[in-house]
Amino acid sequence: MNEYLSNGRLWRLCQKELRESLRDRRTLFTLVLMPILVYPLLSMALQRLVIGANTKTKADTEFVIGVENEETANQIRQLLEEVEQTISRGFVSPISITRTGEPKGADPAKSLGDLGQGDDSRQDELTKFKIVMSNQDSLAMALRDGQVELVVSKMTVDKIQLEKVVVQAYEIRAEFRQNDLRSEAALAGLRRATQLVNDFQAEQIRKRVDRKLPVAMTLRATGIAERTDLSGSIAGVIPLVLILMTITGAVYPAIDLTAGERERGTMEALIATPAPRFALLLSKYVAVVTVAVLTALANLFATWMTLSFGGLGQALFGKSGFSIWTLLQILPLLVIFASFFSAILLALCSFARSFKEAQAYLIPVMLLSLGPGLVTLMPNVQFTTLLGIVPLLNILMLSRDIMTGQSSLVPAFAAVFSTIIYACATLVVAARLFGAEAATSGSQESWSELLSRPKKQQMLPDLGELAIYLALLFPVFFVASNLGGMLEWKGSWAWFFNAVLLFLLFLFLPLAYAWYRRVDIPHTFRLGGGVGIDEPLFRRMFRWVGYVAGVVCLSAGLWMIAFEAYLLFESWSLAAQLSEEKKQRLKTDFLAVPFWIVLLTGAVAPAIAEEFFFRGFVLSAFRSKLSGFRSVLFSSLLFGLFHVMAGSVLSIEKFLPTIILGIAIGYVAIRTGSLWPGILLHTLHNGLIFGMSRFTEQDLAKWFGNDTKHIPATWLFGGGLAIVMGVAILFISSQQRRIHEDSI
Amino acid sequence: MISAENLTKQFIVRGVPLVAVNHLSFHVSSGEVYGLLGPNGAGKTTTLRMIMGLLEPDSGYVEIGGLRSNSKSTDIRKQLGLISTSDGVYPWLTVREMLMYFADLYAVDQELARERLKELASLLDLSNFIDQRCSTLSTGQKQRVTLARGLMHDPPVMLLDEPTRGLDVVGSQAIFQFIDLLKQRGKVVLLSTHRLDEAERVCDRFGLLHRGNLQFEGTLSELRQATGKQHLVDMFIAFINAPHANELSPEA
Repeated sequence: MNEYLSNGRLWRLCQKELRESLRDRRTLFTLVLMPILVYPLLSMALQRLVIGANTKTKADTEFVIGVENEETANQIRQLLEEVEQTISRGFVSPISITRTGEPKGADPAKSLGDLGQGDDSRQDELTKFKIVMSNQDSLAMALRDGQVELVVSKMTVDKIQLEKVVVQAYEIRAEFRQNDLRSEAALAGLRRATQLVNDFQAEQIRKRVDRKLPVAMTLRATGIAERTDLSGSIAGVIPLVLILMTITGAVYPAIDLTAGERERGTMEALIATPAPRFALLLSKYVAVVTVAVLTALANLFATWMTLSFGGLGQALFGKSGFSIWTLLQILPLLVIFASFFSAILLALCSFARSFKEAQAYLIPVMLLSLGPGLVTLMPNVQFTTLLGIVPLLNILMLSRDIMTGQSSLVPAFAAVFSTIIYACATLVVAARLFGAEAATSGSQESWSELLSRPKKQQMLPDLGELAIYLALLFPVFFVASNLGGMLEWKGSWAWFFNAVLLFLLFLFLPLAYAWYRRVDIPHTFRLGGGVGIDEPLFRRMFRWVGYVAGVVCLSAGLWMIAFEAYLLFESWSLAAQLSEEKKQRLKTDFLAVPFWIVLLTGAVAPAIAEEFFFRGFVLSAFRSKLSGFRSVLFSSLLFGLFHVMAGSVLSIEKFLPTIILGIAIGYVAIRTGSLWPGILLHTLHNGLIFGMSRFTEQDLAKWFGNDTKHIPATWLFGGGLAIVMGVAILFISSQQRRIHEDSI
Repeated sequence: MISAENLTKQFIVRGVPLVAVNHLSFHVSSGEVYGLLGPNGAGKTTTLRMIMGLLEPDSGYVEIGGLRSNSKSTDIRKQLGLISTSDGVYPWLTVREMLMYFADLYAVDQELARERLKELASLLDLSNFIDQRCSTLSTGQKQRVTLARGLMHDPPVMLLDEPTRGLDVVGSQAIFQFIDLLKQRGKVVLLSTHRLDEAERVCDRFGLLHRGNLQFEGTLSELRQATGKQHLVDMFIAFINAPHANELSPEA
């Protein structure tokens, strides 16, 4: 394997796939021509949609105005009556005819005229209003929910006598939903009404007393920012289109580089080479993702151009339009999406024997992927935490929310993390399928081999096995840890629930999976004693005394580092921002749980369960391909990420301390070849941290001195010394160990 | 150099077990051209796949240069070259790019690969079109590229799977010359074909395969002696029961 990963060979393999894809005119067609053609067309269609919706609301609907009291209601009725009279007198406002086509989203005070273009004949037709009465709060809510289009919060009517003529000066304060077509249309209707009356009175005064109207009517409107039905759903259309176009870019190379190999008759020669299938597939994957990302870039650029220069951007996203910043946020999402979808495409196409067959597999998948796309178009569907793990839908929802500026951290993190895991697992499946069919001449062996229990025992799980297990584990883990929060179990029960969950997901399931895949369980999970074969008893005891002493020393120093790392993250404001009151309540809740329960469920249980998984299964899986050093690093990274995701909040502050702990225990596990010293270290570490948090600030002040936040320098020095001693003891006592060849 | 011992492979086709290769044993040494002959469906391709380690035999094993073939072993595949009926080329790559790509797939050192490419270009007369894209090549040129592809890693063993199917006289002639070349270089050549007339021209020894069973093995004179027939075609028909004889026509 390594000769394919080094000397730039893998890169040369990728180059071949890229050349093949990019020299093909069909790839270039989707890459360049499609965006150029599709977006202007799409923007024209959308513009029609915006205008169409607008004219529709104007023509045949009744708008609801909310008022707080009867007086305002009567004043509005009076205004509307006057408008009716004005129209029945055949008065045509000289101004309103000329005012057409004001861009939506511009200063509402100016947009007196029509919202859309054309349709001037209806200019002075009376907009129908219905008046409802309620209190201030419920009106505000009704406005937000779209039950009323306008809320008139204040209205004054001053009668002004100008010689023989009495004019009425209206002053109206209204609230409307910004960027909502219905609400803005209602506002425009009201504005038109006041303007009409205003113009009529001005005309009367000019005719009869030859004076100018002294007081103009005012309509002050305040927009409330709410995502609106139409622009919200159009903001949903854009990511959908972008994603569909990205898929389109990836489809052709995916088919061409897999099923195409069979069609050209190069597959046999390819799989007859000693190159590992994963290397072959990885190079194809790199090419497909590259083309997909290039397509995404071309599409993103075209979208940006269309939105910026077509005026649609302002209509949909307000004054600032579709900003470069939004673009930069969407791009990484498209890259992650492309990585995920390319893996799916490759897996499907690897299974196909010909171009036609591959297309037959892909069409249903493309249609299915429209499903989540339609869900994102529904503005009422919120991107909740749990949706964060639904493949495809999560990225679509996230990009929609980024476009409307409403993304939140937890589902975003879940979406990105889970999509990466799914992509890895799918790629592993693709690599196993690729060429398998060609090798087994049409028998079903490839599929069944993937799912069924292997016939032969294997020493360690491989990385593919890990990827597949993670893809199964993560959604379950995520849902389960959110469930814990939803059940709102308090006190000891919550701690027990957590412990049971950890045992199930990190201990029993990995063991079951390892058994099913016929992985050597004692070897993988390092269940051996970490001593040499046929070692005399005293020597064994010497080793174990050393392991325990070393681990105790390590734990004495590690918790301080973990604690300071936590403070470091907190100082960067990355920790969960909690109010003092909430912090106090959490502490009270924590103190209410008996300490033995905390130790059992918060220190011993996680230590056992997590060690089995992270230092057993995960570390061994990495170890099957990578050096000890890298394996420890990668397994610790996963260890850290899983701790960040735990529960329904994102605990970024846990990331660094957990990684440090992971590296330390990883070292212990590989050095001693046994899981048990690590379990002891993990238990001690958690126990110490929880133990420290039992104390009040006054207690801490006694030991720490005035700065109760940080650990004193003398303590830290002692801790550092303990770590050095621990490492030294472990190093010496684990020497000449022969049972495991594994070492750092 | 190649020895197959008791190779057996059974497939389940729509729930019915089908023995594709049944206790097959044979041996080929360096510089020898061995013809694995049989009608379509005799088990030739399955045998070749087991040799390459693409298929795991149900029982028995293949040994090449002392290494046992299995699906995990990549070392054994470096010993093998494969040229097959349906071999294609990458239309968008140039000849040079394609051959260098295969050198990489066999983990051949870049410097060495460049030298081999030069040598093969003159040997198989590729120099005129070596920097052209494969899509622009004629059938004959593509065939030469395929032959060069099989030699880029200079394997001691060459497997030829129906190399002349679909070729005209000139194309077939090129294959025969190629086999001669391999022989001169002391390679082990395993030729799988149903073209018995062609096999007669180039092979040193033969194994007649029918329904997964090796019916007979030996040189042409040994076969003639044993069967009393002059040509392979006649021998084959004599070996196999009459109801199956129609499968034996060379163009079947």
